[in-house]
Amino acid sequence: MPLVIFVDDSETALASTRMVTNSMPIEVKQYTQAQVALAEIQAGMTPDLIITDLNMPVMNGFEFLQGLRAVPATQRTPCLMLTTETKAELKQQGKALGLTGWIVKPFNPAQLKQAITRVLRLPA
Amino acid sequence: MIILNSVDELLAHIKDVQLDVINLSNESLLKMSDFIEKNSIEIDDDLSTALQYQDIITQQLTASIEAIESTQQSMQRFNYAYASNEDLATQSMKKLQDNLKVTLEDAKEKKKRFSGKTSNDDVEADEIEFF
Repeated sequence: MPLVIFVDDSETALASTRMVTNSMPIEVKQYTQAQVALAEIQAGMTPDLIITDLNMPVMNGFEFLQGLRAVPATQRTPCLMLTTETKAELKQQGKALGLTGWIVKPFNPAQLKQAITRVLRLPA
Repeated sequence: MIILNSVDELLAHIKDVQLDVINLSNESLLKMSDFIEKNSIEIDDDLSTALQYQDIITQQLTASIEAIESTQQSMQRFNYAYASNEDLATQSMKKLQDNLKVTLEDAKEKKKRFSGKTSNDDVEADEIEFF
């Protein structure tokens, strides 16, 4: 099964995504600290999709994305930003860093499932 | 200034209350989600959205706590300047006023940023943007 990792400093946000994705044919790993997720990726974990929050302490979503792109195995791994931020400048910044897409919280469960299905090319 | 000390104590209290609210709502949401997951309850879109409001509440309260802390720091700086040289009081008061304005603008900006789809009219409902 494809591995999808979620990164969000809010445990409750992670619980919300877990409730939506638990019926999908994917393996899910969740992290409350981007730096921990990045360390595991640097150590060899190869997710098929990464979904991350933007505003997080210690390492924010953009810094995490930059770290991912510096690891050869995740240079092209799809990455979606899941955030309350809606500013066009931030979306542009994400796009320039190689972000795949932008989802604004609170997300619609059906839309999140569709996005994961589309990016991973899962059977609809 | 004694009056500022009282305001500082009041702000500290408000901050404590907000932290308690964050922790309680966090605990409440996690218990609900545990129950939902343990009992394999299928949640609909409305419930999913409602559960996500907790995260937004936390972000909003955290931003207002940061505004309170910034205000407290500005008042502390004013108090220090005022106590060390009363001639500087007027100048310090002006600085305090400026700092509070900056804090308020920053807090308003964060309120908008951390609302997501709950209050941003320019966000198209349910739209996921792919690049």
